[in-house]
Amino acid sequence: MSAREDTAAEVVSPSRTSWTAWARYRITHTVPEGQWLPDRQPAYVASWIYVFGMATLVSLFIVIGSGVVLAIGGSEWWHTSNVGHYVNSVHLWSVEIFFAVMAIHLWGKFWMAAWRGGRALTWMTGMVALLAAVGTGFTGYLSQTNFDSQWIGAQAKDGLNSVGLGAWFNALNPAAALTLHIVVLPLAVGVIVIMHIILVRRHGVVPPIGAEEPTP
Amino acid sequence: MAGTHILAEGAGNYLNFGIFHISVTNALIMGAMIVMFILAVVIPFPHHDADDEGSR
Amino acid sequence: MTTSTTPSKRGKRYTPDSHSFPTRPYDLFKEMVIAGVILLLLALALAAGFGSLDEKAITLQDWAKAAPFDVVATATGELAGTTSSAGYGPPYNNASDGQKLGPLSLQKWGGVRIPVDSAQDLVLTPLESGAPDAATKDALAAWKAAAADQQTAWATAYGDALAATPDGDPTTVAKGDYGPVPVMASSFLTLANSGGLEQLISPNSYGGDRTKQLLLLSDGSYLEDQARARSLGGDQWGMMNEAGNYPGQVWLGMMTFWYQIPALGGSDNGDALVWGATVIIVLAFLFLPFLPGLRAIPEKIPVYKLVWRDYYRRQKNKK
Repeated sequence: MSAREDTAAEVVSPSRTSWTAWARYRITHTVPEGQWLPDRQPAYVASWIYVFGMATLVSLFIVIGSGVVLAIGGSEWWHTSNVGHYVNSVHLWSVEIFFAVMAIHLWGKFWMAAWRGGRALTWMTGMVALLAAVGTGFTGYLSQTNFDSQWIGAQAKDGLNSVGLGAWFNALNPAAALTLHIVVLPLAVGVIVIMHIILVRRHGVVPPIGAEEPTP
Repeated sequence: MAGTHILAEGAGNYLNFGIFHISVTNALIMGAMIVMFILAVVIPFPHHDADDEGSR
Repeated sequence: MTTSTTPSKRGKRYTPDSHSFPTRPYDLFKEMVIAGVILLLLALALAAGFGSLDEKAITLQDWAKAAPFDVVATATGELAGTTSSAGYGPPYNNASDGQKLGPLSLQKWGGVRIPVDSAQDLVLTPLESGAPDAATKDALAAWKAAAADQQTAWATAYGDALAATPDGDPTTVAKGDYGPVPVMASSFLTLANSGGLEQLISPNSYGGDRTKQLLLLSDGSYLEDQARARSLGGDQWGMMNEAGNYPGQVWLGMMTFWYQIPALGGSDNGDALVWGATVIIVLAFLFLPFLPGLRAIPEKIPVYKLVWRDYYRRQKNKK
């Protein structure tokens, strides 16, 4: 077979021998056909509450974007540069917006009982994303290299130490907080958010409570 | 600059009721979130019935 | 094409496949771009209108200039072993077992992974390596020559004497047997005032680890006084607040709430108890889909009827 015929061969079940073919099967069957980026959605999706998921994702992009600019300037740039200080302000307010729209998204999903129909993992990845985001925000506050980060570190260390976490994460080390904030935690948030969105695409938007199977 | 920057800020404005001691700014943010949620659920979402088709 | 629906045969809890419902066109990318523009403009406007707070960090020199008596009392306390860091326990030392969450000694299990000897690291090392004058050298020699019990007796007596003065002024301290401690504490203040203390405490002066400086600063009362003046104290909902009228961290509300309850916030194990309470709430949220009662709330309080009123109206019209 030619290479084109070969790789296009439809894999009808997970391969028992080829890891690559197994991965291809799993990836291509994660989301129903046409649902990775659909341009149609169920007719019952007709409320402004639905825009808050996208709003959360988009505000996360703005948080990351302003964060990248701060990272280019360095952790102390914003103390002495007016432009740097403005970018810091954008970063702060985009974080406030991010948490606000994420909370509204969570409220909406709660009142819609959106975990129905096998969507428990979607709900749970959303919660884990929220927790990871809180942790990311916390390390961000520790990285400010100003009075606020001194006090937050001094206070937070007592909480973390009391449950043994402080032995592994030193809240009084702004250099360590910074690397967690700009590398480790954003990666964690990113991976969890991607899983969350894939799950939404896999299961589709949850039908209304009490909805019955439509007849063809 | 040593010494001149300390005590640049004090506490802001706060709302106090019972054990609650919430800054006005935070209260406004929370209030705005609740208002946005209510509006999102109540305001009709524009759509055209003619767009509806069978499932694909 | 309109559709009618048939009663599900699979029981009340069955949720039909969302992909079997009628659809309408919807442009996700357009939604993303529009949301992006709106939220970006909002962030830019809020940033321009309200800015962000940047209060300079308190250096040990700032502390010495603003609260010299606090510095003297703190240095004395480090030598006496009475400061917060000296008696902390893990991760800094073994002076205590630390907090427990019920029967669980979580703080102890973390281990001493950030070793700090408060007296040596925070006071003696800077004094020794900071080009001490003759009087300080003699005082350090006298301190080192004394037995541990004697050292503690001197430092504790001096600490008590300072606390007995109206405002902690060392020059108003009553006469007593304090050994070399008054000279050491006074030299420590001079060192702090000169600005050299910050460097002498830090093992790697080029790095970013500020553990020792912050432990020393936290052992005094000046840092906390500054924070409480800004309503940032733990029992002032401080976790959620920011100084001035700047926005705080509203999302920490459900954790900081527990510190406001005296039984928790005032307890010796308060931090561990608050973590315990917060973890319970987090787990309840996380496993909500599996918790009967809690997961039924949305059906009992039908906000969903507003969200899907369009759908329900159509279903009613079809019937």
